[in-house]
Amino acid sequence: MKKLTSIVAATALLGGLVYAKEVKIGVVLPLTGNIAAFGQTSKGGLDIAYAQNNKLSNGDTVKLVVVDDRGDKVEAATAVKRLLDKDKVSVILGEVASSNSMAMAPVAEKAKTPMITHASTNPRVTKDKKYVTRACFIDPFQGAVMAKYALDSGLKTAVVVTDAKQDYSVGLSKAFKKAYEAAGGKIVKTILINSGDKDFNAQVAALKQANPAIVAFTGYYPEAALMVKQARDMGVKTPFIGADGVGFPELVKIGGKAAEGFMYTDHFNEAAASSPEAKAYVEAFHKKYNKPADSMGALAADGYGMILQAMNNCIKAGKASDDKECINTNLRGTKGYKGITGVITINANGDAVKSAVVNAVKDGKFTYKTTVNP
Amino acid sequence: MNLDIFLQQLVNGASLGSMYALIAIGYTMVYGVLRLINFAHGDIMMVGAFLTFFGTSAGFPFELAVLLGIIGSAIIGILTDKIAYKPLRDAPKISLLITAIGISFFLENLFTVLFGSTPKAFKAPEYLTKIFHVGNIYLPISVIIIPTVTLAILAIVLWILYKTKYGMAIRALAFDIQTVKLMGIDADRIIMIVFIIGSALAAIGGVFYAVSYPSIDPLMGIIVGLKAFAAAVLGGIGSVGGAVVGGFILGFTEIFVVAMFPELGGYKDAFAFFFLILVLLFRPTGIMGQDLERGRF
Repeated sequence: MKKLTSIVAATALLGGLVYAKEVKIGVVLPLTGNIAAFGQTSKGGLDIAYAQNNKLSNGDTVKLVVVDDRGDKVEAATAVKRLLDKDKVSVILGEVASSNSMAMAPVAEKAKTPMITHASTNPRVTKDKKYVTRACFIDPFQGAVMAKYALDSGLKTAVVVTDAKQDYSVGLSKAFKKAYEAAGGKIVKTILINSGDKDFNAQVAALKQANPAIVAFTGYYPEAALMVKQARDMGVKTPFIGADGVGFPELVKIGGKAAEGFMYTDHFNEAAASSPEAKAYVEAFHKKYNKPADSMGALAADGYGMILQAMNNCIKAGKASDDKECINTNLRGTKGYKGITGVITINANGDAVKSAVVNAVKDGKFTYKTTVNP
Repeated sequence: MNLDIFLQQLVNGASLGSMYALIAIGYTMVYGVLRLINFAHGDIMMVGAFLTFFGTSAGFPFELAVLLGIIGSAIIGILTDKIAYKPLRDAPKISLLITAIGISFFLENLFTVLFGSTPKAFKAPEYLTKIFHVGNIYLPISVIIIPTVTLAILAIVLWILYKTKYGMAIRALAFDIQTVKLMGIDADRIIMIVFIIGSALAAIGGVFYAVSYPSIDPLMGIIVGLKAFAAAVLGGIGSVGGAVVGGFILGFTEIFVVAMFPELGGYKDAFAFFFLILVLLFRPTGIMGQDLERGRF
């Protein structure tokens, strides 16, 4: 027995690489289903970040276990259970939609496994959770940025369009209303829609009657594209402002000319990338996909980078790279992480405090307008 | 609500309603003949829109692409009948119903796997997307064309049903399949014709839907299919005229609920179905339906 131990010790000494551990990160994304675009773009950025760096400072290798939840809440929660029980992952990365992350969070919390969502912006995702962190800002901030940008542009009356089926949209609308009214704006009407709806003519007619200076659309891109198209068809010229849920190529593909001028707040625009980390990522992205780097991918890369940093910090502190408690403490304690989407600091709630960008559709492309700091 | 907005909403309602009507006709005809609620019908509509989309993407002129979409959907309609429904002709009705739901899931998932679930932008030709201004009312040309075509199609379907031999056979089949077979009529062939008509109309409805709302995805047929089914029931399932009436009523209700209570716009589906329940409470057979066991078109 003693002999065996010494052989093991010797082998371990011979080279960390030979005996290095494999640390697993469970990734839950909507790779199919009606929000597949979010999952696919997230995966694209994650792949680049993984290719750039998949080793820890002590030679341990990182392995990604990616599970598709089809954009479904129940599937998302099941995916986390599977990753914990079957694949024995140390950290969970995901989801995009807040509704799905909220279904996953209690499962991770119960198993005391750190979970970081790269793109869920609803405040309730991390609320009262000890093991849930995020790499993105939250809706109150995003809503405040929308309100601030609208008011700064001199647009003082607004109609709010909320997707009643999405937690994301409901939360965002609330945040927008609060910030907009606090700063002297007036909400003249609130209109409800449902994700999956295609006909918004009745809502557009109500919108036309209210005749606001700006439309705050807090839903996702499929509805945004159709609604702005129907609004323009009916002669409504009011500008639209949305949030990170509308900034997808389909907005322009489906909306066509009607999407021109659609503004939205976002996490990232490659035109605003200034740090060396961001530049290296953008360059690798262009080389691999030959298209502009999107924000979901950049966020996923940041979430992954934060996990790696937390693991390396654990190793530095003399702990195992897969020590869940240690990873969680370090994730929650992230300060000044130089990410691709900006400098990220995690606050006491587990939410990221970072800057947002405002983009607008111009000649069918998403162009950078400005950066708004917290 | 002022007059302009009212007229605008009236036009929107007519356009939405006629799309429901086109799809409801297929529901009601298949029900009339087979006593089967063909839940895959909404997905046939999706297939029609997708095939047309592929046609235009491949560079065919729009009209040819639509024709291909209609023919393709008709073929898929025939295939579902031959493969899934025909072997169950003598099985309990419930087996047939479950099979229809199965076919519906199959088509939705097949298209998701093959073409992805990201919505695709449907390109319609200029002459279908032009917009007129009449005073303060904005009239997309489609809101005139769609109801017109729907009413023309209704006339053709009624003509087939009441003035042709095939129509007589279809109506006879709705009364009693066994007796019709004894008279030497090939029931399977007549059922095939019903599926061809139903699927072709669903495809036309799908194309119209895609022209009006130019974003198509593999799951687009679910909710439209449900609404069309509701329209068919509302009008009296088994009655072609009833399906059209039901479609229009549903379209108007939906549009006007949102127009009058924009805050409740998110619940418009609930209102549509609530209205259906209300009508059925007072007229269990629907507006134009007669004896449930003896569909008469």
